[in-house]
Amino acid sequence: MRRKQFLTSLITLVIATVAFVGIARVDAQQKPLITVMNPVITSKMMDRTPLSPRLDKLEGKTIYLVDISWGGPEAGYSVFEEMQSWFAQNIPSLKVVIKRKTGMYTADDPKLWAEIKQNANAALIGISG
Amino acid sequence: MGVPTVGAAASNIVKFAIGYNFEYTNGMPIRYVGFPFPVAGQPKSVHHKYIYESNDFVSGKPMMKAVINALTNPLTEDEKYAGPPKGSAEEPRLLPPDTEDALQQLFKDKDWTDYNPIILPTEERVAAMLKGTSKTPDTVVKRLGYPGGPRNLTVEKVAVCAVMAGAKPKMFPLILAVAQSVPFGNSTSSMANMILVNGPIRNEIGMNYKSNVMGPHNEVNSVVGRCFTLLSKSAGNLHAGKTTFSSLGSSIQYNNLCIAENEEALPAGWQPTHVLKGAKATDSTVSVGTGWSYISSVGEVQRWYPPQYLLRDYMRSLTGMGATIVMDPAVAGILHDEPNSFATKADLSKWLANNVEKTVASYWGNGVISTMNSSMAIQGMEPLATQYKQVKEAPDTMMKPFQAGQVNIVVAGAGQTTWFVTDFGVGRGNSVDAWR
Repeated sequence: MRRKQFLTSLITLVIATVAFVGIARVDAQQKPLITVMNPVITSKMMDRTPLSPRLDKLEGKTIYLVDISWGGPEAGYSVFEEMQSWFAQNIPSLKVVIKRKTGMYTADDPKLWAEIKQNANAALIGISG
Repeated sequence: MGVPTVGAAASNIVKFAIGYNFEYTNGMPIRYVGFPFPVAGQPKSVHHKYIYESNDFVSGKPMMKAVINALTNPLTEDEKYAGPPKGSAEEPRLLPPDTEDALQQLFKDKDWTDYNPIILPTEERVAAMLKGTSKTPDTVVKRLGYPGGPRNLTVEKVAVCAVMAGAKPKMFPLILAVAQSVPFGNSTSSMANMILVNGPIRNEIGMNYKSNVMGPHNEVNSVVGRCFTLLSKSAGNLHAGKTTFSSLGSSIQYNNLCIAENEEALPAGWQPTHVLKGAKATDSTVSVGTGWSYISSVGEVQRWYPPQYLLRDYMRSLTGMGATIVMDPAVAGILHDEPNSFATKADLSKWLANNVEKTVASYWGNGVISTMNSSMAIQGMEPLATQYKQVKEAPDTMMKPFQAGQVNIVVAGAGQTTWFVTDFGVGRGNSVDAWR
Protein backbone atom coordinates (compact mmCIF):
# COMPACT_ATOMS: atom_id res chain seq x y z
CA MET A 1 0.00 0.00 0.00
CA ARG A 2 2.81 2.37 0.98
CA ARG A 3 4.70 1.42 -2.17
CA LYS A 4 1.65 2.27 -4.33
CA GLN A 5 1.31 5.66 -2.62
CA PHE A 6 5.01 6.36 -3.14
CA LEU A 7 4.83 5.49 -6.86
CA THR A 8 1.73 7.67 -7.32
CA SER A 9 3.50 10.63 -5.67
CA LEU A 10 6.62 10.12 -7.75
CA ILE A 11 4.65 10.02 -11.03
CA THR A 12 2.75 13.17 -10.03
CA LEU A 13 6.01 14.97 -9.24
CA VAL A 14 7.55 13.99 -12.57
CA ILE A 15 4.46 15.13 -14.51
CA ALA A 16 4.41 18.44 -12.62
CA THR A 17 8.12 19.02 -13.26
CA VAL A 18 7.81 18.29 -16.97
CA ALA A 19 4.78 20.59 -17.21
CA PHE A 20 6.62 23.43 -15.39
CA VAL A 21 9.72 23.19 -17.58
CA GLY A 22 7.53 23.11 -20.68
CA ILE A 23 5.63 26.23 -19.61
CA ALA A 24 8.90 28.03 -18.83
CA ARG A 25 10.28 27.16 -22.27
CA VAL A 26 7.15 28.38 -24.01
CA ASP A 27 7.29 31.57 -21.92
CA ALA A 28 10.91 32.20 -22.96
CA GLN A 29 10.12 31.49 -26.57
CA GLN A 30 7.11 33.80 -26.51
CA LYS A 31 8.96 36.82 -25.07
CA PRO A 32 8.66 39.38 -27.83
CA LEU A 33 11.74 40.51 -29.70
CA ILE A 34 12.33 44.23 -29.79
CA THR A 35 14.31 46.30 -32.28
CA VAL A 36 16.00 49.34 -30.80
CA MET A 37 18.16 52.15 -32.12
CA ASN A 38 21.92 52.29 -31.71
CA PRO A 39 23.16 55.20 -29.56
CA VAL A 40 26.70 54.95 -30.94
CA ILE A 41 28.03 56.98 -33.86
CA THR A 42 30.43 55.48 -36.37
CA SER A 43 33.89 56.86 -35.68
CA LYS A 44 36.30 57.41 -38.53
CA MET A 45 39.64 55.70 -38.01
CA MET A 46 42.67 57.76 -38.99
CA ASP A 47 44.78 57.09 -42.07
CA ARG A 48 47.93 55.25 -41.11
CA THR A 49 51.31 57.02 -40.95
CA PRO A 50 54.48 54.89 -40.82
CA LEU A 51 57.12 55.14 -38.13
CA SER A 52 60.58 56.56 -38.75
CA PRO A 53 63.22 53.88 -39.41
CA ARG A 54 65.00 52.67 -36.26
CA LEU A 55 68.69 52.95 -35.38
CA ASP A 56 71.02 49.97 -35.50
CA LYS A 57 72.46 50.91 -32.07
CA LEU A 58 72.50 53.81 -29.58
CA GLU A 59 76.26 53.87 -29.03
CA GLY A 60 77.80 57.13 -30.21
CA LYS A 61 74.41 58.73 -30.88
CA THR A 62 72.44 61.62 -29.34
CA ILE A 63 69.04 61.15 -27.69
CA TYR A 64 66.66 63.88 -26.48
CA LEU A 65 64.53 63.05 -23.44
CA VAL A 66 61.54 65.41 -23.59
CA ASP A 67 59.47 66.15 -20.49
CA ILE A 68 55.94 67.22 -21.39
CA SER A 69 55.46 68.46 -17.78
CA TRP A 70 52.36 66.35 -17.26
CA GLY A 71 51.24 66.98 -13.67
CA GLY A 72 53.62 69.95 -13.41
CA PRO A 73 57.29 70.55 -14.24
CA GLU A 74 58.52 68.63 -11.19
CA ALA A 75 56.01 65.77 -11.37
CA GLY A 76 57.89 63.41 -13.67
CA TYR A 77 61.19 65.18 -14.33
CA SER A 78 63.25 62.84 -12.16
CA VAL A 79 62.26 59.94 -14.43
CA PHE A 80 64.42 61.58 -17.10
CA GLU A 81 67.24 62.26 -14.66
CA GLU A 82 67.20 58.59 -13.68
CA MET A 83 67.23 57.58 -17.36
CA GLN A 84 70.17 59.89 -18.00
CA SER A 85 72.01 58.30 -15.10
CA TRP A 86 71.23 54.78 -16.39
CA PHE A 87 72.48 55.63 -19.87
CA ALA A 88 75.69 57.15 -18.42
CA GLN A 89 76.40 53.88 -16.65
CA ASN A 90 75.34 51.50 -19.41
CA ILE A 91 75.88 53.33 -22.73
CA PRO A 92 78.44 56.04 -21.85
CA SER A 93 78.99 57.00 -25.49
CA LEU A 94 75.33 58.03 -25.84
CA LYS A 95 74.84 61.79 -25.46
CA VAL A 96 71.67 62.50 -23.48
CA VAL A 97 69.91 65.87 -23.58
CA ILE A 98 66.94 66.52 -21.29
CA LYS A 99 64.45 69.16 -22.47
CA ARG A 100 61.16 70.50 -21.16
CA LYS A 101 58.59 71.06 -23.87
CA THR A 102 57.10 74.57 -23.86
CA GLY A 103 53.38 75.06 -23.33
CA MET A 104 50.91 72.65 -21.81
CA TYR A 105 51.43 68.96 -22.39
CA THR A 106 48.88 69.02 -25.22
CA ALA A 107 50.45 72.00 -26.98
CA ASP A 108 52.58 71.64 -30.10
CA ASP A 109 56.23 72.72 -29.89
CA PRO A 110 57.49 72.94 -33.50
CA LYS A 111 60.68 74.74 -32.46
CA LEU A 112 61.73 71.84 -30.26
CA TRP A 113 60.78 69.24 -32.89
CA ALA A 114 62.98 71.10 -35.40
CA GLU A 115 65.84 71.16 -32.89
CA ILE A 116 65.51 67.41 -32.34
CA LYS A 117 65.43 66.75 -36.06
CA GLN A 118 68.63 68.75 -36.47
CA ASN A 119 70.61 67.62 -33.42
CA ALA A 120 69.31 64.23 -32.32
CA ASN A 121 69.33 60.68 -33.62
CA ALA A 122 66.46 59.56 -31.36
CA ALA A 123 63.97 60.88 -28.84
CA LEU A 124 61.85 59.75 -25.92
CA ILE A 125 58.79 61.84 -25.07
CA GLY A 126 56.75 61.56 -21.87
CA ILE A 127 55.55 61.04 -19.31
CA SER A 128 51.87 60.98 -18.44
CA GLY A 129 50.04 59.05 -15.78
CA MET B 1 60.11 64.67 -36.29
CA GLY B 2 61.89 62.28 -38.61
CA VAL B 3 63.95 60.54 -35.92
CA PRO B 4 63.05 57.29 -34.15
CA THR B 5 60.98 58.16 -31.12
CA VAL B 6 59.50 56.27 -28.21
CA GLY B 7 56.59 57.48 -26.09
CA ALA B 8 56.54 56.99 -22.33
CA ALA B 9 53.39 56.81 -20.24
CA ALA B 10 52.10 55.08 -17.15
CA SER B 11 50.15 51.86 -17.59
CA ASN B 12 46.78 53.61 -17.24
CA ILE B 13 47.46 55.86 -20.25
CA VAL B 14 49.54 53.56 -22.42
CA LYS B 15 46.62 51.21 -23.17
CA PHE B 16 44.75 54.21 -24.59
CA ALA B 17 47.82 55.45 -26.44
CA ILE B 18 48.53 52.24 -28.33
CA GLY B 19 44.86 51.39 -28.83
CA TYR B 20 42.16 53.99 -29.18
CA ASN B 21 44.41 56.99 -29.63
CA PHE B 22 46.43 55.27 -32.36
CA GLU B 23 43.34 54.09 -34.24
CA TYR B 24 41.20 57.21 -34.03
CA THR B 25 43.49 60.19 -33.37
CA ASN B 26 47.00 59.94 -34.79
CA GLY B 27 47.11 56.85 -37.02
CA MET B 28 50.77 56.27 -36.18
CA PRO B 29 51.66 53.03 -34.35
CA ILE B 30 54.01 54.81 -31.95
CA ARG B 31 56.12 52.49 -29.82
CA TYR B 32 55.48 53.10 -26.14
CA VAL B 33 57.06 51.96 -22.93
CA GLY B 34 54.58 51.60 -20.08
CA PHE B 35 55.61 52.64 -16.57
CA PRO B 36 53.93 51.56 -13.33
CA PHE B 37 51.08 53.87 -12.34
CA PRO B 38 51.32 56.52 -10.97
CA VAL B 39 54.37 58.46 -12.17
CA ALA B 40 53.37 62.10 -11.57
CA GLY B 41 54.21 63.42 -8.14
CA GLN B 42 56.03 60.31 -6.96
CA PRO B 43 59.34 60.77 -5.08
CA LYS B 44 62.63 60.44 -6.94
CA SER B 45 63.26 57.14 -5.11
CA VAL B 46 60.14 55.66 -6.77
CA HIS B 47 61.21 56.93 -10.19
CA HIS B 48 64.61 55.33 -9.55
CA LYS B 49 62.89 51.98 -8.96
CA TYR B 50 60.82 52.39 -12.10
CA ILE B 51 64.01 52.75 -14.19
CA TYR B 52 66.19 50.16 -12.49
CA GLU B 53 63.76 47.51 -11.20
CA SER B 54 60.47 47.67 -13.16
CA ASN B 55 59.38 45.99 -16.34
CA ASP B 56 57.81 47.74 -19.31
CA PHE B 57 54.02 47.30 -19.20
CA VAL B 58 53.89 46.78 -23.01
CA SER B 59 56.70 44.29 -23.72
CA GLY B 60 57.30 42.85 -20.27
CA LYS B 61 61.05 43.56 -20.64
CA PRO B 62 63.15 45.50 -18.10
CA MET B 63 62.34 49.19 -18.55
CA MET B 64 65.55 50.46 -20.13
CA LYS B 65 65.96 47.34 -22.27
CA ALA B 66 62.48 48.10 -23.60
CA VAL B 67 63.48 51.71 -24.38
CA ILE B 68 66.52 50.52 -26.31
CA ASN B 69 64.46 47.90 -28.16
CA ALA B 70 61.84 50.48 -29.12
CA LEU B 71 64.53 52.65 -30.70
CA THR B 72 66.61 49.93 -32.36
CA ASN B 73 64.42 46.93 -33.27
CA PRO B 74 63.67 47.05 -37.01
CA LEU B 75 60.17 48.16 -38.04
CA THR B 76 57.54 45.52 -38.74
CA GLU B 77 55.60 45.58 -42.00
CA ASP B 78 52.60 46.91 -40.07
CA GLU B 79 54.67 49.78 -38.66
CA LYS B 80 55.78 50.70 -42.19
CA TYR B 81 52.23 50.74 -43.54
CA ALA B 82 50.85 54.01 -44.93
CA GLY B 83 47.31 54.38 -46.20
CA PRO B 84 43.71 53.87 -45.21
CA PRO B 85 43.02 52.16 -41.86
CA LYS B 86 42.33 48.47 -41.68
CA GLY B 87 39.17 47.03 -40.11
CA SER B 88 37.07 50.19 -39.73
CA ALA B 89 33.50 49.10 -38.92
CA GLU B 90 30.24 50.94 -39.61
CA GLU B 91 27.80 51.26 -36.70
CA PRO B 92 24.28 50.14 -37.74
CA ARG B 93 21.36 52.49 -37.14
CA LEU B 94 19.32 49.64 -35.61
CA LEU B 95 20.58 46.91 -33.31
CA PRO B 96 19.69 43.24 -33.96
CA PRO B 97 16.27 42.32 -32.47
CA ASP B 98 16.33 40.71 -29.02
CA THR B 99 14.27 40.40 -25.83
CA GLU B 100 13.96 43.35 -23.47
CA ASP B 101 16.10 41.67 -20.81
CA ALA B 102 18.83 40.82 -23.31
CA LEU B 103 18.88 44.36 -24.68
CA GLN B 104 19.05 45.88 -21.19
CA GLN B 105 22.05 43.65 -20.58
CA LEU B 106 23.60 44.52 -23.96
CA PHE B 107 23.47 48.24 -23.19
CA LYS B 108 25.24 47.57 -19.87
CA ASP B 109 27.80 45.25 -21.49
CA LYS B 110 28.61 47.98 -24.01
CA ASP B 111 28.94 50.56 -21.19
CA TRP B 112 26.30 52.77 -22.80
CA THR B 113 24.45 53.36 -19.51
CA ASP B 114 25.04 54.56 -15.94
CA TYR B 115 24.09 51.00 -14.87
CA ASN B 116 20.60 52.02 -13.83
CA PRO B 117 17.82 50.60 -16.03
CA ILE B 118 17.14 52.55 -19.21
CA ILE B 119 14.10 52.99 -21.43
CA LEU B 120 14.88 51.00 -24.56
CA PRO B 121 15.08 53.37 -27.56
CA THR B 122 12.63 51.82 -30.00
CA GLU B 123 12.01 53.65 -33.27
CA GLU B 124 8.51 54.60 -32.04
CA ARG B 125 9.81 56.14 -28.82
CA VAL B 126 12.59 58.01 -30.64
CA ALA B 127 10.06 59.30 -33.20
CA ALA B 128 7.90 60.60 -30.34
CA MET B 129 10.94 62.32 -28.80
CA LEU B 130 11.75 63.98 -32.12
CA LYS B 131 8.36 65.71 -31.97
CA GLY B 132 9.86 67.85 -29.17
CA THR B 133 11.89 69.87 -31.69
CA SER B 134 11.33 71.45 -35.10
CA LYS B 135 14.76 70.25 -36.23
CA THR B 136 15.11 67.34 -38.64
CA PRO B 137 16.67 64.11 -37.31
CA ASP B 138 19.81 64.55 -39.40
CA THR B 139 20.53 68.06 -38.11
CA VAL B 140 24.06 68.15 -36.71
CA VAL B 141 24.12 69.20 -33.06
CA LYS B 142 27.89 69.03 -32.73
CA ARG B 143 30.89 67.78 -34.66
CA LEU B 144 32.63 65.44 -32.23
CA GLY B 145 36.32 64.75 -32.47
CA TYR B 146 37.72 63.26 -29.31
CA PRO B 147 37.69 60.54 -28.20
CA GLY B 148 36.80 58.41 -31.19
CA GLY B 149 37.62 60.27 -34.33
CA PRO B 150 35.60 62.85 -36.26
CA ARG B 151 31.85 62.22 -36.35
CA ASN B 152 28.54 64.09 -36.30
CA LEU B 153 26.25 64.04 -33.28
CA THR B 154 22.81 64.39 -34.83
CA VAL B 155 19.40 65.27 -33.43
CA GLU B 156 18.36 61.63 -33.90
CA LYS B 157 21.28 60.29 -31.84
CA VAL B 158 20.48 62.77 -29.07
CA ALA B 159 16.85 61.60 -29.19
CA VAL B 160 18.00 58.00 -28.74
CA CYS B 161 19.84 58.95 -25.54
CA ALA B 162 16.98 61.16 -24.36
CA VAL B 163 14.66 58.14 -24.57
CA MET B 164 17.20 55.99 -22.74
CA ALA B 165 17.39 58.55 -19.91
CA GLY B 166 13.60 58.65 -19.52
CA ALA B 167 13.04 62.11 -20.99
CA LYS B 168 9.77 63.55 -22.27
CA PRO B 169 9.52 65.44 -25.61
CA LYS B 170 9.00 68.74 -23.74
CA MET B 171 12.53 68.36 -22.32
CA PHE B 172 14.11 67.70 -25.73
CA PRO B 173 15.08 71.29 -26.71
CA LEU B 174 16.95 71.62 -23.40
CA ILE B 175 18.63 68.24 -23.92
CA LEU B 176 19.70 69.26 -27.44
CA ALA B 177 21.26 72.43 -26.01
CA VAL B 178 23.05 70.35 -23.37
CA ALA B 179 24.23 67.97 -26.11
CA GLN B 180 26.23 70.81 -27.66
CA SER B 181 28.65 70.31 -24.75
CA VAL B 182 29.07 66.52 -25.23
CA PRO B 183 31.27 64.83 -24.12
CA PHE B 184 31.47 66.02 -20.57
CA GLY B 185 34.72 67.32 -19.11
CA ASN B 186 36.90 64.43 -18.21
CA SER B 187 40.51 63.86 -17.18
CA THR B 188 42.71 61.66 -15.03
CA SER B 189 41.66 63.95 -12.18
CA SER B 190 38.12 63.64 -10.79
CA MET B 191 36.66 66.17 -13.21
CA ALA B 192 32.91 66.67 -13.21
CA ASN B 193 30.28 69.03 -14.60
CA MET B 194 27.50 71.37 -13.61
CA ILE B 195 24.41 72.08 -15.72
CA LEU B 196 22.79 75.43 -15.01
CA VAL B 197 19.49 76.36 -16.67
CA ASN B 198 18.13 79.91 -16.95
CA GLY B 199 15.13 81.57 -18.55
CA PRO B 200 11.50 80.67 -19.24
CA ILE B 201 12.25 77.02 -20.10
CA ARG B 202 12.65 76.32 -16.37
CA ASN B 203 8.97 76.89 -15.70
CA GLU B 204 7.72 75.58 -19.05
CA ILE B 205 9.08 72.09 -18.37
CA GLY B 206 8.79 72.08 -14.59
CA MET B 207 12.39 72.25 -13.39
CA ASN B 208 13.09 72.55 -9.71
CA TYR B 209 14.91 75.64 -8.51
CA LYS B 210 13.38 75.81 -5.06
CA SER B 211 13.25 73.24 -2.26
CA ASN B 212 15.94 70.54 -2.33
CA VAL B 213 17.18 71.91 -5.67
CA MET B 214 20.44 69.94 -5.66
CA GLY B 215 18.84 66.68 -4.56
CA PRO B 216 17.04 63.85 -6.44
CA HIS B 217 13.56 65.36 -6.14
CA ASN B 218 12.50 66.47 -9.59
CA GLU B 219 11.98 64.52 -12.81
CA VAL B 220 13.37 67.12 -15.23
CA ASN B 221 16.50 67.95 -13.18
CA SER B 222 17.13 64.24 -12.74
CA VAL B 223 16.52 63.11 -16.33
CA VAL B 224 18.29 65.97 -18.13
CA GLY B 225 21.36 65.59 -15.90
CA ARG B 226 21.40 61.83 -16.47
CA CYS B 227 20.98 62.26 -20.22
CA PHE B 228 24.24 64.25 -20.41
CA THR B 229 26.04 61.26 -18.92
CA LEU B 230 24.41 58.75 -21.27
CA LEU B 231 25.22 60.96 -24.25
CA SER B 232 28.83 61.36 -23.13
CA LYS B 233 29.28 57.62 -22.64
CA SER B 234 27.53 56.28 -25.76
CA ALA B 235 27.73 58.92 -28.50
CA GLY B 236 30.66 60.62 -26.77
CA ASN B 237 32.66 57.41 -26.42
CA LEU B 238 33.84 57.87 -22.82
CA HIS B 239 34.52 54.49 -21.27
CA ALA B 240 36.50 53.72 -18.12
CA GLY B 241 39.90 52.21 -18.83
CA LYS B 242 39.48 52.73 -22.56
CA THR B 243 39.09 56.46 -23.03
CA THR B 244 38.85 57.76 -19.43
CA PHE B 245 41.45 57.17 -16.75
CA SER B 246 40.43 58.82 -13.48
CA SER B 247 41.35 56.92 -10.35
CA LEU B 248 38.67 58.20 -7.98
CA GLY B 249 36.14 59.38 -10.57
CA SER B 250 33.19 61.45 -9.40
CA SER B 251 29.66 60.57 -8.34
CA ILE B 252 28.65 64.01 -9.63
CA GLN B 253 28.76 62.40 -13.09
CA TYR B 254 25.52 60.53 -12.35
CA ASN B 255 23.51 63.74 -12.61
CA ASN B 256 26.01 66.52 -13.39
CA LEU B 257 24.56 68.90 -10.79
CA CYS B 258 21.65 69.75 -13.06
CA ILE B 259 19.83 72.74 -11.54
CA ALA B 260 17.98 75.90 -12.52
CA GLU B 261 18.38 79.36 -11.04
CA ASN B 262 15.63 80.77 -8.83
CA GLU B 263 15.42 83.96 -10.85
CA GLU B 264 12.12 84.94 -9.22
CA ALA B 265 13.82 85.18 -5.81
CA LEU B 266 16.81 87.33 -6.79
CA PRO B 267 17.24 90.47 -4.67
CA ALA B 268 16.62 93.79 -6.44
CA GLY B 269 19.59 94.64 -8.67
CA TRP B 270 20.86 91.05 -8.85
CA GLN B 271 20.57 89.79 -12.44
CA PRO B 272 20.04 86.17 -13.54
CA THR B 273 23.26 84.42 -14.54
CA HIS B 274 22.40 84.20 -18.24
CA VAL B 275 21.66 87.95 -18.38
CA LEU B 276 25.07 88.68 -16.88
CA LYS B 277 26.59 86.52 -19.62
CA GLY B 278 24.91 88.54 -22.38
CA ALA B 279 21.51 86.88 -22.95
CA LYS B 280 18.12 88.53 -22.59
CA ALA B 281 15.97 87.68 -19.57
CA THR B 282 13.43 86.14 -21.93
CA ASP B 283 16.04 83.83 -23.49
CA SER B 284 16.36 80.27 -22.28
CA THR B 285 19.93 79.03 -21.89
CA VAL B 286 21.90 76.19 -20.41
CA SER B 287 25.49 76.48 -19.29
CA VAL B 288 27.59 73.37 -18.80
CA GLY B 289 30.49 74.15 -16.48
CA THR B 290 33.50 71.97 -15.81
CA GLY B 291 35.07 71.63 -12.39
CA TRP B 292 35.72 69.15 -9.62
CA SER B 293 34.38 70.12 -6.21
CA TYR B 294 31.56 71.56 -4.19
CA ILE B 295 31.55 72.38 -0.52
CA SER B 296 28.45 73.00 1.57
CA SER B 297 28.15 75.70 4.22
CA VAL B 298 26.71 72.81 6.22
CA GLY B 299 24.77 75.06 8.61
CA GLU B 300 23.00 78.35 8.59
CA VAL B 301 24.50 81.84 8.60
CA GLN B 302 25.49 83.18 12.02
CA ARG B 303 24.87 86.85 12.80
CA TRP B 304 28.40 87.54 14.06
CA TYR B 305 30.01 86.18 10.87
CA PRO B 306 28.27 87.48 7.72
CA PRO B 307 28.16 84.95 4.86
CA GLN B 308 30.78 86.64 2.67
CA TYR B 309 33.42 85.83 5.30
CA LEU B 310 32.64 82.11 5.46
CA LEU B 311 32.35 82.00 1.66
CA ARG B 312 35.82 83.58 1.52
CA ASP B 313 37.20 81.03 3.99
CA TYR B 314 35.79 78.07 2.09
CA MET B 315 36.89 79.38 -1.30
CA ARG B 316 40.53 79.22 -0.18
CA SER B 317 40.34 75.46 -0.71
CA LEU B 318 39.34 75.77 -4.39
CA THR B 319 41.94 75.64 -7.16
CA GLY B 320 41.45 79.24 -8.30
CA MET B 321 40.58 78.29 -11.86
CA GLY B 322 37.00 79.45 -11.43
CA ALA B 323 34.16 79.43 -8.94
CA THR B 324 30.38 79.25 -8.93
CA ILE B 325 28.60 79.91 -5.67
CA VAL B 326 25.10 78.45 -5.34
CA MET B 327 23.30 80.28 -2.58
CA ASP B 328 19.83 80.25 -1.17
CA PRO B 329 17.68 83.38 -1.73
CA ALA B 330 17.84 83.93 2.01
CA VAL B 331 21.64 84.22 1.85
CA ALA B 332 21.39 86.48 -1.20
CA GLY B 333 19.02 88.70 0.78
CA ILE B 334 21.41 88.99 3.72
CA LEU B 335 24.29 89.84 1.39
CA HIS B 336 22.20 92.36 -0.52
CA ASP B 337 20.73 94.17 2.47
CA GLU B 338 22.46 96.45 4.97
CA PRO B 339 24.96 96.23 6.52
CA ASN B 340 26.58 93.97 3.88
CA SER B 341 25.07 95.93 0.99
CA PHE B 342 26.25 94.02 -2.07
CA ALA B 343 24.03 95.82 -4.56
CA THR B 344 24.85 93.43 -7.43
CA LYS B 345 26.30 89.98 -7.95
CA ALA B 346 29.34 91.67 -9.49
CA ASP B 347 29.99 93.58 -6.24
CA LEU B 348 30.09 90.33 -4.33
CA SER B 349 32.30 88.65 -6.96
CA LYS B 350 34.73 91.57 -6.76
CA TRP B 351 34.83 91.46 -2.95
CA LEU B 352 35.54 87.73 -2.98
CA ALA B 353 38.27 88.08 -5.63
CA ASN B 354 39.93 90.76 -3.50
CA ASN B 355 39.62 88.91 -0.22
CA VAL B 356 40.18 85.23 -0.99
CA GLU B 357 43.88 84.58 -0.46
CA LYS B 358 46.07 81.55 -0.23
CA THR B 359 49.81 80.89 -0.15
CA VAL B 360 51.69 80.50 -3.41
CA ALA B 361 52.77 77.05 -2.23
CA SER B 362 49.14 75.99 -1.80
CA TYR B 363 48.09 77.46 -5.17
CA TRP B 364 50.95 75.86 -7.09
CA GLY B 365 50.71 72.71 -5.01
CA ASN B 366 47.66 71.78 -7.05
CA GLY B 367 48.65 69.49 -9.93
CA VAL B 368 46.15 70.93 -12.41
CA ILE B 369 47.30 74.51 -11.76
CA SER B 370 50.90 73.41 -12.03
CA THR B 371 50.26 71.54 -15.28
CA MET B 372 48.32 74.37 -16.91
CA ASN B 373 50.27 77.41 -15.71
CA SER B 374 53.88 76.34 -15.17
CA SER B 375 54.94 76.66 -18.78
CA MET B 376 53.70 80.26 -18.85
CA ALA B 377 55.55 80.92 -15.57
CA ILE B 378 58.77 79.43 -16.93
CA GLN B 379 58.43 81.64 -20.01
CA GLY B 380 58.25 84.72 -17.75
CA MET B 381 54.57 85.64 -17.84
CA GLU B 382 53.68 87.72 -14.77
CA PRO B 383 52.44 87.35 -12.09
CA LEU B 384 52.85 83.61 -12.62
CA ALA B 385 56.65 83.83 -13.03
CA THR B 386 57.14 85.62 -9.71
CA GLN B 387 54.76 83.28 -7.89
CA TYR B 388 56.50 80.27 -9.32
CA LYS B 389 59.85 81.48 -7.96
CA GLN B 390 58.24 82.21 -4.59
CA VAL B 391 57.09 78.60 -4.27
CA LYS B 392 60.68 77.69 -3.37
CA GLU B 393 61.99 81.00 -2.07
CA ALA B 394 59.04 82.29 -0.01
CA PRO B 395 56.29 79.64 -0.05
CA ASP B 396 54.09 81.40 2.52
CA THR B 397 53.67 84.49 0.33
CA MET B 398 49.95 85.24 -0.02
CA MET B 399 48.31 85.61 -3.44
CA LYS B 400 44.80 86.15 -4.77
CA PRO B 401 43.79 83.11 -6.85
CA PHE B 402 40.57 84.52 -8.35
CA GLN B 403 39.66 87.34 -10.68
CA ALA B 404 36.20 88.89 -10.23
CA GLY B 405 35.02 87.69 -13.64
CA GLN B 406 35.72 84.11 -12.64
CA VAL B 407 33.39 84.15 -9.63
CA ASN B 408 29.78 83.37 -10.58
CA ILE B 409 26.88 83.77 -8.20
CA VAL B 410 23.79 81.58 -8.69
CA VAL B 411 20.68 81.82 -6.53
CA ALA B 412 18.66 78.65 -5.97
CA GLY B 413 16.72 77.09 -3.13
CA ALA B 414 13.69 77.86 -1.04
CA GLY B 415 14.62 79.86 2.03
CA GLN B 416 17.29 78.57 4.37
CA THR B 417 20.53 80.44 5.02
CA THR B 418 22.81 77.83 3.43
CA TRP B 419 25.06 77.80 0.36
CA PHE B 420 27.63 75.86 -1.64
CA VAL B 421 30.94 77.04 -3.04
CA THR B 422 32.03 75.13 -6.13
CA ASP B 423 34.86 75.34 -8.64
CA PHE B 424 32.66 74.90 -11.70
CA GLY B 425 33.29 77.43 -14.44
CA VAL B 426 29.90 78.49 -15.72
CA GLY B 427 30.18 80.19 -19.09
CA ARG B 428 27.97 81.99 -21.58
CA GLY B 429 25.83 78.94 -22.19
CA ASN B 430 23.99 77.38 -25.11
CA SER B 431 20.66 78.62 -26.41
CA VAL B 432 17.71 76.34 -25.67
CA ASP B 433 15.44 78.39 -27.91
CA ALA B 434 17.55 77.48 -30.95
CA TRP B 435 16.42 73.87 -30.51
CA ARG B 436 12.69 74.35 -30.02
